[in-house]
Amino acid sequence: MMDIIFMVLSLFAIGGALGMVLFHQPVHSALSLIVTIIALAGIFALLSASFLFMVQIIVYAGAIITLLIFIIMFLNVKESNLPKEPYKNITLFFGAIALLPVNFLILRAFLKLPMAHASLASDFGTIKALGMELFETWLLPFELISILLLVALIGGVVFGRKEEEA
Amino acid sequence: MNAILVSVVVVNCVLALLFSLGAAPILVWIERRVAGLIQDRLGPNRCHIKGFRLGGLIQSFADMLKLVFKEDFQAKSIKQSFFFSLAPVIVFASAFLTFMVMPFADHLVIGEQTFRMQGLPIDLGILWFLAFAGLSVYGIMIGGWASNNKYSLLGSMRSAAQVISYEAAMGLSLVSILITYGSIDLVSIVNFQGNTVFGILPSWGIVLQPLAGLIFIVTAFAEANRTPFDIAEGESEIVGGFHTEYSAMRFGLFFVGEYVAMSASSALIVTLFLGGYHLPYFNTQILHQHMNLFLMAVMVFVPLMSLFFARWIRRNNRFSAQVDIRNRESKVLLKVLAGVNVLIVVGLALFLIMGLGETGVHIATAVIQVATFAVKLLLMNFVFVWVRWTLPRFRYDQLQDLGWKVLMPLAIMNIFITATVVVVFGV
Repeated sequence: MMDIIFMVLSLFAIGGALGMVLFHQPVHSALSLIVTIIALAGIFALLSASFLFMVQIIVYAGAIITLLIFIIMFLNVKESNLPKEPYKNITLFFGAIALLPVNFLILRAFLKLPMAHASLASDFGTIKALGMELFETWLLPFELISILLLVALIGGVVFGRKEEEA
Repeated sequence: MNAILVSVVVVNCVLALLFSLGAAPILVWIERRVAGLIQDRLGPNRCHIKGFRLGGLIQSFADMLKLVFKEDFQAKSIKQSFFFSLAPVIVFASAFLTFMVMPFADHLVIGEQTFRMQGLPIDLGILWFLAFAGLSVYGIMIGGWASNNKYSLLGSMRSAAQVISYEAAMGLSLVSILITYGSIDLVSIVNFQGNTVFGILPSWGIVLQPLAGLIFIVTAFAEANRTPFDIAEGESEIVGGFHTEYSAMRFGLFFVGEYVAMSASSALIVTLFLGGYHLPYFNTQILHQHMNLFLMAVMVFVPLMSLFFARWIRRNNRFSAQVDIRNRESKVLLKVLAGVNVLIVVGLALFLIMGLGETGVHIATAVIQVATFAVKLLLMNFVFVWVRWTLPRFRYDQLQDLGWKVLMPLAIMNIFITATVVVVFGV
């Protein structure tokens, strides 16, 4: 049962990712990205990481992609204004070939993973366990990432501000 | 898998369906009758089946039938047929999913087993609501975009901007609530509210966190796209907004989805701030201890209320003409009312004489809590309707100002205050 759910979710994730690259219309690409993200959330749920499952949907599907689609729709790109992509298929083909070595590496890393896994603690993936882990073991990286985000936010505001007329 | 498990799950599913989907016709009815009341007119009261009008409730079913049998028209200019049909489905499904985690009663203990009284028995609570409430905006955006119509696109843009801005304030107001309750599980949140503070007030969320409550209720109105935040539709400005091009059942799904979303928001407000399924001053333990007294009170209270209701029917639902078909409704209703009363009183008396036993007490508690939840849900839905017909729509810039410059700073301030109080007093 779990295997079937995993396969269906993975198919959706891969299909969404392919659609994201292959679709011509930007809105279609963004929408297929949502399919990938929700499928990934489902895989998190399968791995009993319930907090990540919810946060994936809230943050990525609920906020970031909404903003992305909002902007794409706001620009309201006409069909005729979209760039023509005559060599798209060939580019994709060579791109895929160029990525093959990376895939090989990932596959090797995957095969080296220990197959026998210890059973998880009962509170694995819950908010409390995750929060304890973050704020005890990983406190410094966590705070550094917050500062990075803050810097990015301020940078965004500075760049987005209209130039004052001299 | 045993019989008790299956029956509890079935009861939960039926309850969740009743409170969300089944509530839609009733909410439509409340909406129109309250609109009538506020605008000093009657509202729909003519539609009937052999004289049965039920105060106009039949009108809602007639409307639903009309939507089902209408021509499903689609303009030729709509190229994205798939997305056009997908949009109402997303709105409806996400509204429906948000309702599934609302607890109707405390954990039900039957023998050795404990059951969660929710549509979906999971403890993700608030996060689940936030996730699927956030997804519903896709339906509105895709619908407006696929309609290939200026007004539709304008409506969906407005709606998306509004939801994005208000989700921030909503999330921040929820943070202070989570600090207070220390859990995201809705059942433990409600059980936290079963006690009293200062010995007199029930420790409901609205008492402990009045500011967060206010912010959350305002943002919940915005999330449900209800007036004064209904700029997504804004019929006096942009025709019908995102659903301008929709007709028949595809419009019906938007329409029902809106009411289900409203019901889900009300359910969350009730759960977080108004004590959920608890009667004030009677938490689950007290109900367990004093079940017999409580049943006796119900035995006295229900016939008394029915008596008043019967007198009201006799006074207001009587027509002078002998052949008036509407008089039949009063007669039948009075008989049904008397029958229900006899059933309740005799049944409760039997229970009291024979003794309920532990399982019986637990089930009776669950029934009382479900009823309490239903009454609170209806009252909160009434508030939604009341606000809709009292306040005018916000202008777009006012709405954004309110969201970013008032609600968000207030929510952040509330987080600081709450955190300080919790740390200093160690509550």
